[in-house]
Amino acid sequence: MPGVDPWVLREALRRSAPTLVFYLALLALYLAMPQYSQFIAMILFYAILGQAFNIFMGMTGYVDFGYVAFLASGAYAFSLAVIALSEAGVTGWIFIPVGLAFAAIVAATLASIVGAIALRLRGAYFAIATIGVNEGLRYFVEGANLLGGSIGLYIVKNLKALVGKEGYQLAATLLADLLMFLLAAVTVLVTGIILSSRLGYALQAIREDEDAARALGINVTKYKVTAFIISGMLGGMLGALNWALKGGVVEPAHVFMIHYTVEAIVIVMLGGAGTLLGPVFGAITYIGLNYVSNVYIAPILESMGIKATGLHLIILAPILLAIIIAAPNGIVGLLKERIKNPRIRSFIT
Amino acid sequence: MVDVGLVVANLVYGLLIGIIYGIATVGLNMIFGVLKIVNVGHGAFIMVGAYVTLLLFTLAGVTPPLTIVASMAVGIGLGLLFYYLVIKYLVDAPELATLLATFAIGVLLQEIVKAFMGADSRGFTWNLGNIEIAGVSVALSKVIAAVLSIALLGFLYLVIYRTKLGLAIRAVVQDKEGAMVVGVDVDKIYAISFALGIMVTVASGSILAMYLQSGIHPYMGEIYTLKGFVIAVMAGLGSIPGAFIAGILFGLFENLSYVALQSIEGVQPLVLTRSIAFLLLLIILLVKPSGLFQR
Repeated sequence: MPGVDPWVLREALRRSAPTLVFYLALLALYLAMPQYSQFIAMILFYAILGQAFNIFMGMTGYVDFGYVAFLASGAYAFSLAVIALSEAGVTGWIFIPVGLAFAAIVAATLASIVGAIALRLRGAYFAIATIGVNEGLRYFVEGANLLGGSIGLYIVKNLKALVGKEGYQLAATLLADLLMFLLAAVTVLVTGIILSSRLGYALQAIREDEDAARALGINVTKYKVTAFIISGMLGGMLGALNWALKGGVVEPAHVFMIHYTVEAIVIVMLGGAGTLLGPVFGAITYIGLNYVSNVYIAPILESMGIKATGLHLIILAPILLAIIIAAPNGIVGLLKERIKNPRIRSFIT
Repeated sequence: MVDVGLVVANLVYGLLIGIIYGIATVGLNMIFGVLKIVNVGHGAFIMVGAYVTLLLFTLAGVTPPLTIVASMAVGIGLGLLFYYLVIKYLVDAPELATLLATFAIGVLLQEIVKAFMGADSRGFTWNLGNIEIAGVSVALSKVIAAVLSIALLGFLYLVIYRTKLGLAIRAVVQDKEGAMVVGVDVDKIYAISFALGIMVTVASGSILAMYLQSGIHPYMGEIYTLKGFVIAVMAGLGSIPGAFIAGILFGLFENLSYVALQSIEGVQPLVLTRSIAFLLLLIILLVKPSGLFQR
């Protein structure tokens, strides 16, 4: 954001504060209860996924069914950087900033290409084009045997060559999670700045009525593409951290899975599209529902002879339908309607 | 050097599968044409039709062409159910809502089928021997599947262009308010059109199962959603005869690009044809988003 106004920054901080406090609390829990660290890390992943996706879908009202392609491109870019550095004989932690920067650049490049082409289309046509981009990329990687083809890239041994066996243990666990917390904070602040600045107001105008916004002289394409690139870049870094660094494996069948895009959509819609706290509420509710369905409901169904793997989607789909019909503004929208006290209300952002 | 026999064989197969792609896209385009809704869960309804045929044939021994009748009934039932439960409330909602809702319906169908049938890929054998078309030996079951597709299209054509109901549907497409003024119950027309669209889609799943006889699993529909989009966009969203012709063109294109890709070493031609299909989609969206058959 060129020359951020101090007022914009203050306003962005005020808006981001409740969400940042939430992430701090989550970090405290993470450090205090190592036995739940992976569960907390999962909530964190979905919260960031929602937060990053929200910057585009929540603010513009455009559906990107191919969002996971940005996570995939980031994971691939990070892995390629790791492989290149280890093969060049470099050692040490430099691979993390280099890999993340490369992931961000590759995801941003992909977003600017896709955005420049697909964002000339509207609504359903845009949504259709994005599915095409995701599947087209995946089948291209698999079909042309690029980047490890359908097998993918395995980088554990490269990571061990860079920072040693113990360094890798640390990198794939604590360090990766702490970097995810950092990414969460960055994503929230970026969202806050967007919401408080000209970009945010322009996006809101586009979401409400794109033709009217255009008629008022707003350069709609520029703002849409900007939001798309920011959202894609953050997604790229998330894919790099969660899949490449933490998982050590990038398989096309996994990283291009449309499932993740669905989850991002559900989280954003559940929490409240275009809000700051929304994705956080959405992620917690989503993980909570998953947990309840897997731990409590699935065994009952299993005992009745019904295969219950992937059961959470059976529950999730009707919930998504119910939200779309009955509460299109999600949890945050409901809270805003209910809470009349202006002081408490100002914290629901 | 290109093998002429291989090209002819792929033309014949491309034509046959193209006819089936055509019928599998007609429902998608009909729903968009009348309700202005893109059914992102389209492929899941195709999958349901494939399971209807699989189950009726393997469990009850019903001959596959007859299972289409059952699929049509299932399609009308599902169409009415989802219209009155969900779609009715979203006809005038922002596009985001209908895109997400139809997507959720698709996921729901997939997961329900998976819960009861499991995720394994299944198939059946319905062999009637081969016949020869242009010197190419083709399974008779595949030819019957293509003929049934054309019959189904004909049936839909009769409903839309030769009945009073069809007249009302066309009136709503042309001018919703005008249709209301002359006494058309628009909500009812929406419900019937949605149900008809889903009916054709589920029935096309039966036809597809008859053609392939394998690879029937809960997520099989996804690729047909995608191909359906490519074909629908080629035809221009909303055009019914256009969808059928575009389906045939797409089938030919897919099979011929397969022949071309086979000559490149070190690639997986079958997987790569899918990638090229999406490239085609993007190009058409950019060059002529209104479709090839619309002025």
